[in-house]
Amino acid sequence: MSPLLSVQGVTKRFGGLVAVADVTFDIAPGELVGLIGPNGSGKTTLLNIMSGHLSSEQGTIRLDGEPCTGLKPQRLARRGLMRMFQLTRIFARMNVLDNLLVGGRALGLDAEEANARANALLEELQIAHVRHLDAGQLSGGQMKLLEFGCCFMRTPRLALLDEPFAAIHPTMKEIMSRFIRARHAEGQTFVLVSHDMPVIVELCPRSICMNAGRVLSDGATSQVLAAPAVIEAYLGGAAA
Amino acid sequence: MLTGALAADLAVNGLVTGLFYGLMAIGLALIFGVLRIVNFAHGEFYMVGAYAYTIVAARLGVPLVVALPTAFLFGAALGWVVERTLMRPLYANIGTWGLMRDEYAVIVTFGLSLLLVNLVDKAIGPYAFRAPALVNASRIVVGPALMSGQKVAAAVVTLATLALIALFLRFSYWGRAVRAVSQNRLGASLAGIDATAVSSLVFSLAGGLAGLAGALLSPIINASPDVGAFPAIKSYVIVVLGGMGSIPGAFIASLLLGLVESFGAVLVSYQYRDTFGLVLLILFLLFRPQGLFGERGREV
Amino acid sequence: MSGDVRLRREFIATVVLLVLLALLPLVTRDVYWLGVLVVSAYFAILASSWNLLAGFTGQFSLAPAAFAMIGAYGAALSAAYYNVPPLLGLLIGTASAGLIGLVLGRIVMRLRGPYLALTTLSFAEIARLVASNSINITRGDLGLPIEAWFNDRVIWFYVFLGALAFVVCGLYLLLRSQAGLFLEAIRDDEIAAARSGVRIVFWKTAAFAISSAAAGFAGALYAYFASLVTPELGLVQQTGLVVSMSVIGGMGSLIGPVVGAFLVYVTSEWLRDVGGWQLVIFAALVIVFARLFRTGLWGLITTALPPRRRAAGKPA
Repeated sequence: MSPLLSVQGVTKRFGGLVAVADVTFDIAPGELVGLIGPNGSGKTTLLNIMSGHLSSEQGTIRLDGEPCTGLKPQRLARRGLMRMFQLTRIFARMNVLDNLLVGGRALGLDAEEANARANALLEELQIAHVRHLDAGQLSGGQMKLLEFGCCFMRTPRLALLDEPFAAIHPTMKEIMSRFIRARHAEGQTFVLVSHDMPVIVELCPRSICMNAGRVLSDGATSQVLAAPAVIEAYLGGAAA
Repeated sequence: MLTGALAADLAVNGLVTGLFYGLMAIGLALIFGVLRIVNFAHGEFYMVGAYAYTIVAARLGVPLVVALPTAFLFGAALGWVVERTLMRPLYANIGTWGLMRDEYAVIVTFGLSLLLVNLVDKAIGPYAFRAPALVNASRIVVGPALMSGQKVAAAVVTLATLALIALFLRFSYWGRAVRAVSQNRLGASLAGIDATAVSSLVFSLAGGLAGLAGALLSPIINASPDVGAFPAIKSYVIVVLGGMGSIPGAFIASLLLGLVESFGAVLVSYQYRDTFGLVLLILFLLFRPQGLFGERGREV
Repeated sequence: MSGDVRLRREFIATVVLLVLLALLPLVTRDVYWLGVLVVSAYFAILASSWNLLAGFTGQFSLAPAAFAMIGAYGAALSAAYYNVPPLLGLLIGTASAGLIGLVLGRIVMRLRGPYLALTTLSFAEIARLVASNSINITRGDLGLPIEAWFNDRVIWFYVFLGALAFVVCGLYLLLRSQAGLFLEAIRDDEIAAARSGVRIVFWKTAAFAISSAAAGFAGALYAYFASLVTPELGLVQQTGLVVSMSVIGGMGSLIGPVVGAFLVYVTSEWLRDVGGWQLVIFAALVIVFARLFRTGLWGLITTALPPRRRAAGKPA
């Protein structure tokens, strides 16, 4: 089967700093891949390049065989590439339901479909009771769930989740994990960036570890986490 | 035709005009550097200074040497009050604007501008006031150019003030604090600098400088309620051209603008001499938003 | 969807307000006051168009008066030099403002906050200076005279009220559709909007074009009313009035600018006889409202009313 996402030789420099160095990997349809690595390893930069927020100096990215390097985020969204941000981004002055409807309508759903889908998502994510509140009035965890939900108004081809579990209540973490597992079982492809190792181990059969802009290790999560290079990257030389 | 003598004359006049623009624009650049907003009421600080000087000198008969600093103080006081009452929501997370701080700043300073213009118009009157000149010679030779005594005196005072500001920013504790907060507000406060105090300082200083500019030019451009509108627009152009927040940039851009307008009025069009700056502003904001000396900002 | 409910409530309130205003000529036929109401309606259209751009899309343009001026000159120039009938002149005025707005909107797409404000301000000043200096064509500050369309103040009052109703209805239909969702999303977080698939370039430019066209429409209509077009229409002070009216009435609501326009202008004319401090008071109000009541008068009124469906929303 041809890969859903193909990243080839992507490189990005900021002045003298090489943030992403010659990164190459493929992701097959239906995979749930963890993207891990210490702070500053280039994970978010790579994600920004994949979602069209940054340009890369070299390399190509293909989604379903079609090149998509350099396309703007809104075009990538319409092609089915949904991105969740590390620092939660929602529409603060619109109510929760409208927040979801934006994505639905922008991606071509009509009013009824969008409404139905939004309400279903709200139920599944257990935030239906705040649907009429302005998004800016939600708690931090609820906002994360909302942003998470916004990525699924139309079934994405690829969902890029940037630290979705950071700083939220365990109950909400559980809701999100359950959601991800359920969709994954249906064949949804995910790339999940996280520092939360237990979650990575629990959810992701495969992991890619980055450090200093390079791919250190790519394979089954248990093996990646046991690799000496990865341990060294996280804990420093002494622990290996 | 552009003879050498004419060119020299235009150059000197342009540079002197640029100096005056600079006195006002530096304050605006400081405000932008520290608070990251454009103060749309900047022209009114100029106006307040012009009125303060005129009234104190002409009506109260105070010696001019005292009247000038008074104008500076009036402008500074106004700046301080404005910062304390209206600018806090920008960084103290109070008020209901939340993320829309830029929009709040535009509206509030716009409203302030309207308030001050109309207040002065009603309280003092819409007619222009003539202020006494610092030096009563009408024609002094400055190199290749001929200028009024007032202009020469004003230029000297301006140069002295600008030099003082430069020294202040470079060597004094508060000057360095200002530069630190411009570069990184959070970092500066982590290093122990009171960022809010710096904001107050900068707004007062900007008000004072603009007020001083208004006072210095009031014998030439008489004080009237809307006298500040014109210099304000020049300041916006300069701050953009120099690079938002860059003080040296603002200074150089002021001189440049003075020269461009001076030569442009003769070589291109006298009627449209005020549009050169505006066109430059638009072009810079579109193609080189960091100006000549500013830094590129990041988004995501 | 309670965002929809909120919009519908504002629309109904606006309609009620307009109906009440329409009844005024039954009470007074005073030519002066009818004139005041006409100008208020002009500002209401202008403020509503600016509100679409600034309140709903988050693009703080300082050029609304300039676009009104462009619309006015579009109509006046075609009337004066080509003798076009008023309806066609209106169309030309509206279209020229809309087209220039489209181009400007596309150019300033990437600019935000103070940068956008400065650029639009510069554009407005340049436009005004061009109008003022093109004495051969526009007669500069002397003004360009054209024939009035109607001569009866009462008729003019209803024409302007009808135009205002037309603009408000148009805005309501626009904001009720998915366009409303997209524009507000762009205002709240452009990056999140892009991530959601919203066509940023299209909608930002469209908002600019529609807002400018509406402003031009108001200006063109005003040209036929005042029968004289001068560059003073495009002064920054006029933009200041428009911004003040929207802020006091309530930015980001359909009715706010309309309420603000009538309130500010009628009161300022009323107080003109009394003392003339009205502009000072209004400027102070703008500051107070900006500082303390972002949602303006309309926001104050609606928060004072008993909440219909707040926290635990059960859909009706």
